Amino acid sequence: MRLLRRLLRELNSTYRQEEADVVRINDKYFTLSPTLRDGLKARKGLVYAGRYLGRDRRLFQPSAPLLEALAGEPGTRKVHVGRDAAWLFACGRDLFEESVEKAEPELILGAHYLVVYGGRCVGYGRYETAGDRHIIRNLFDIGDFLRREA
Amino acid sequence: MRGREFFLGRYAEMGRSLTGEETAPQAIRVNPLKAADGEVVEILVDEGVQLRKIPYLDHGYEVVSSGFSLGASLEYLLGLYSIQEAASQLPVQVLGPRPEDVALDMCSAPGGKTTQMAAYMVNCGVLYAVDSSRDRLYAVENSLERCGVTNCLVYHGDAAEIELGVTFTKILLDAPCSGNYATDPEWFSVRTLRDVEANAARQRRLLARALELLEPGGRLLYSTCSLEPEEDELNVQWLLETHGVDLEPLGGPGVPALTHVLGSELDPRVSRCRRLWPGGGTQGFFLVEAVKL
Repeated sequence: MRLLRRLLRELNSTYRQEEADVVRINDKYFTLSPTLRDGLKARKGLVYAGRYLGRDRRLFQPSAPLLEALAGEPGTRKVHVGRDAAWLFACGRDLFEESVEKAEPELILGAHYLVVYGGRCVGYGRYETAGDRHIIRNLFDIGDFLRREA
Repeated sequence: MRGREFFLGRYAEMGRSLTGEETAPQAIRVNPLKAADGEVVEILVDEGVQLRKIPYLDHGYEVVSSGFSLGASLEYLLGLYSIQEAASQLPVQVLGPRPEDVALDMCSAPGGKTTQMAAYMVNCGVLYAVDSSRDRLYAVENSLERCGVTNCLVYHGDAAEIELGVTFTKILLDAPCSGNYATDPEWFSVRTLRDVEANAARQRRLLARALELLEPGGRLLYSTCSLEPEEDELNVQWLLETHGVDLEPLGGPGVPALTHVLGSELDPRVSRCRRLWPGGGTQGFFLVEAVKL
């Protein structure tokens, strides 16, 4: 939860999850609807439950549903990009500042931003200097689905 | 007893002349939890993909041609669609789980039908998913995450033995089976009749457990992608003889299941099941919907 809270702070999110409502399975965190909570009669063998939030790694690795929820918040930091840039980002590449069509709010060095294409989140990164250019350094992207199964 | 000639001979005895070269076209299923069909089709067509709506499926499209792997596109990663062969989209569509159901997917991996069930349930109610292979459950977890499923509890365990402390209104048993040659070019060289019989026995264990877990009036959808009657019609005959169930008549693609097979005359109600032979736009498939009395 510590790493999750840190990520939320970095993205300027107001998303809050009461610790008591979070189900932890190994290093993964989930939240359950009241209906699902009532339905959870057995814990033996449980590997996944309800809305997946993400897992502890060196940094918190957010889930796709969490990223989607954060992208829907009006106050989170995000950059909007076109399809080509979104695809390159999903392939693990960093994002050149020139690819950013719109930033909410303005870009600040060192700040974290969700990368949004067509209203859908493809990952997040940190706005940094790289040589003589500015980039969104890729910290996590949805191409992870393919890398996990490789 | 094995080999191309042996199996094609059996199919001929069952009234179907097949070449053994039939294949199944690739198909996708749009995920209504994330996008409307029109949006996804428009994006993919813009990217040069040729799609054809499959008329008997709610969200299914045959991939006529594509210049890239549809399992590695941006829209796939965003969970807007899944790759799912046409016949394998039928079981969940027929079962039709609803938001108020307590539903179970007994052999969940790799998760395509689990995410489809969640979509029919509009992410409401409770969907339980079980699989005996921990390795294959990672694929289920990834599919649930990618497709935005939030109403599912996933368990590692043998569905024939697992205790979840609940009974169900709807159960999907898409059973581990011998498969068919339309999706596996090596099929004729690896499958034997002994495998088929072993799978049929395992399927009966799972069927018996499914009936225990089902509420009276509840519905069980049993399906296989096997063409072998031991895993299909003969298992349904066994179900009718040993359990208090009736069968719902199924329409749609394919033909009524066989009632005279391998020298046995079966209960006429077995013809309410559906058998799909490969070559008609799908792989081989079999499905039955049973209601617990």
